[in-house]
Amino acid sequence: MSKNYYEQTYIIDSVLEDDQYKEIVDKYRDIIEDNGGEIDEIDEWGIKKFAYDMNGKSSGYYVNTYFEAPGELIEKLERAQRIDDNVMRFLTLKYDAKMLRHRELQKKNAVPQLQDSESEEDEE
Amino acid sequence: MIKNPSHPQKAQRRQRECKFTQAGIEYIDYKNADMLRRFMNDQGKILPRRVTGTSAKHQRQLSTAIKRARFLGLLPYVADNLR
Repeated sequence: MSKNYYEQTYIIDSVLEDDQYKEIVDKYRDIIEDNGGEIDEIDEWGIKKFAYDMNGKSSGYYVNTYFEAPGELIEKLERAQRIDDNVMRFLTLKYDAKMLRHRELQKKNAVPQLQDSESEEDEE
Repeated sequence: MIKNPSHPQKAQRRQRECKFTQAGIEYIDYKNADMLRRFMNDQGKILPRRVTGTSAKHQRQLSTAIKRARFLGLLPYVADNLR
């Protein structure tokens, strides 16, 4: 069974209590691990304000997960999240070679940054 | 077309290298919302390539990245800036 590298960001409804966030994060971690996936990193961004109102709410709790898993897991994970009322949105990406190289740089904290060029102001 | 600054005349168009190519960026991350915002106007629209000088390859990546960030509420679909 071949494994792929995935990244998933999901947004938990911000009406919950602090320990409930943890419960939800644990729940999805367990789903990944129980289905033959391997967690690489879970990065909780915490409560962030949205750029626009989503389902009548203005902020949500962001969780960013990196994991390695067989493709069949994604189906199960996303089904669980679609049913879960506390998960407002999720975005799963499968990493290709280019993104994996980017991820390696990210781990080494060596992602190239855009230069602040002088042409900034004549850019409209 | 004539006096529109976003449609520069051929003569006044400055050859500019793509910023992503310059920096050696291979993949444009949707999580880096502040960086993406620099390629949007104040209404939240994606700026055209002729304005930013981004290469075609990176412009395609950029637009997907912005759209992903919009879906996750990191960037606005429309920003209602009062003018």
